[in-house]
Amino acid sequence: MTSLSLKNLRKSFGTAEIIKGIDLDIADGEFVAFVGPSGCGKSTLLRLISGLEYITAGDLFIGERRMNDVQASRRGVAMVFQSYALYPHLTVQENMGFGLKVRKVPAAEREARVREAAGTLKLEGLLDRYPRQLSGGQRQRVAIGRAIVADPDVFLFDEPLSNLDAELRVHMRSEIAALHARLGSTMIYVTHDQIEAMTLADRIVVLRDGVIEQVGTPRELYTRPAKLFVAQFIGSPRMNVLPVERVAQGLPAGVPAGASQVGMRPEHLRLVAPEAGMLGGKITVSEYTGAASMLHVALDHGETVLVVNNDEGPRPGERIGLTIDPRDLHFFDDAGDRRSFD
Amino acid sequence: MARAGRAPWLTLQRREAIEAWLFVSPTLIGFLIFFLGPLIAVVFYSVSEWNLLSGEQVFVGMANYHDALRENPDFWHVIRNSVIFAIGLVPLNMALALTLALALSRPFRGVVFFRTVFFAPVVTSAVAWAIVWKFLLQGEGGTVNALLGYVGIDGPNWLREPDWAMAAVIVTRVIKMVGLNMILYIAALQAIPRDYEEAARLEGASGWQIFRMVTWPLLAPATLIIMVITTIGSFKVFDHIYLMTGGGPENGTLVLAYYIYEQAFEFFNVGYASALAMIMFVIVLALTIVQLILRQKGAA
Ligand SMILES: Nc1ncnc2c1ncn2[C@@H]1O[C@H](COP(=O)(O)OP(=O)(O)O)[C@@H](O)[C@H]1O
Ligand SMILES: [Mg+2]
Repeated sequence: MTSLSLKNLRKSFGTAEIIKGIDLDIADGEFVAFVGPSGCGKSTLLRLISGLEYITAGDLFIGERRMNDVQASRRGVAMVFQSYALYPHLTVQENMGFGLKVRKVPAAEREARVREAAGTLKLEGLLDRYPRQLSGGQRQRVAIGRAIVADPDVFLFDEPLSNLDAELRVHMRSEIAALHARLGSTMIYVTHDQIEAMTLADRIVVLRDGVIEQVGTPRELYTRPAKLFVAQFIGSPRMNVLPVERVAQGLPAGVPAGASQVGMRPEHLRLVAPEAGMLGGKITVSEYTGAASMLHVALDHGETVLVVNNDEGPRPGERIGLTIDPRDLHFFDDAGDRRSFD
Repeated sequence: MARAGRAPWLTLQRREAIEAWLFVSPTLIGFLIFFLGPLIAVVFYSVSEWNLLSGEQVFVGMANYHDALRENPDFWHVIRNSVIFAIGLVPLNMALALTLALALSRPFRGVVFFRTVFFAPVVTSAVAWAIVWKFLLQGEGGTVNALLGYVGIDGPNWLREPDWAMAAVIVTRVIKMVGLNMILYIAALQAIPRDYEEAARLEGASGWQIFRMVTWPLLAPATLIIMVITTIGSFKVFDHIYLMTGGGPENGTLVLAYYIYEQAFEFFNVGYASALAMIMFVIVLALTIVQLILRQKGAA
């Protein structure tokens, strides 16, 4: 059983507190993504779990065991680094077998396990190459292969795809998903890319400044963001946010108590005739992306909103109206917390 | 109206070429006057018999080289001393430099202080260094022997006995120069990404395993360069010997560079000294070429 449990976990570097009390339970076999803007503490949290940093306060359990004072190599975790951290002077085979070698596993077993992992990742033909002779995607696979060979209870990934080009990133994403399906191991995946998190994870942990903003499935985060920050971080293009007065007259049921801001996802706004919608404005820019167009609409009140439009539609300069299903509105108070009717 | 036809002589390409030559000319002229000139002169002297006092100069062919390599037993004694000096100094210097670098490559409170302490002797005057050590290494009443006395060791008269004198000049030279190699090793260590060590640690490698299987192999290019420059430096050592032992006792610390000096400026055998200088030049050149070859192999 390799569930994880983080209880009020804290980390300070000198006087600067970077991780400010994280409570989180991760189930056995779950794929959890940590997302958040750069510098919010994702890597630090991962390193606390791996044992590469000391825990300042709180408790870390992996399985049933408290791991705060257990050496990194004894925690049953393997990490895939953003830089891959492949030893340049060793071949692919030696890189993948490194951990077994230092643990004095006999050469024959070592080779068998490396070959097995290489088979899973289609690396058989590359075993005698050096890292510098590999492409980015191949290096990435070797780094994952090294983690597989270690046969860990928990896989830790720190932005493993951020050094790859866009196309390869999408491809490797599906390979990692397949790997998780096959191995069924617990995996923690750090990324600043919300799409990666949405597509891969069973559950997403949104971090900001060392605290958890929200934990939930990708669908929960998208449909019911608990914080304005989460609402704007999850989903692409970014959610539009307006003062609540802009839509208040158009809502017979009114707005939830305390709500001061309202969020509308660009893909939920619909174009209607001018003066017919909840909002009126003028198109300033239209970006055609193939599948849809992204319209920048300057509202009569001065704000600009983004609208995803699937049809061949109006051109820049035209006046339009906008409307939205009230169920797709997200209300937040001044502190950025979600407000709803209840 | 631009006139077609004759292209101007001073094209952009020509102008930039001239500028480039002007920029390199000071160095080039310096090189010709202060390096190539003397080098050619030494080649010329080395095939002459030239007594500085009488001013007579006669062509003698390879006689000076023959003298050194075949006739004069001093020469091989001196080469032997130089080799002993190098064999004693290079490994000691490098082992110490690497140890210090490993301890001082990561930041901790006071790290700058310690780096400075070990680097300071490098930039200390060689004269002051030698005088202080001569004083410390005195047989009777020297500080080193006094300290050894506390632990019950009866220290020798360091600079008066040939073998001890060699050991003493090696060790004091190492202490003076080790800071330089330490800095080179620190730079090399800092160029190794931290991830390698962390990945190894996660996989269960001990500190010693990380050093042996990751750090040391990755330091190989640095080690090679440091080894060659330290060896070359040890063959060229002069001031230290001159100041501490004057090549003595009983020629026990008479190394090549000092021998050349002695022949040229104490015995005025300029031809012979020039031949010796050429031999030293060839040795250093050979070491440099070896280094270049090894480096290219390493880069491939
Ligand atoms: N070893 C360290 N010493 C001091 N500050 C650190 C250290 N490691 C990380 N930090 C700080 O902690 C914050 C979070 O860093 P990190 O966890 O790397 O962010 P993320 O991975 O989310 O981009 C940053 O402000 C960073 O400067
Ligand atoms: Mg990070």
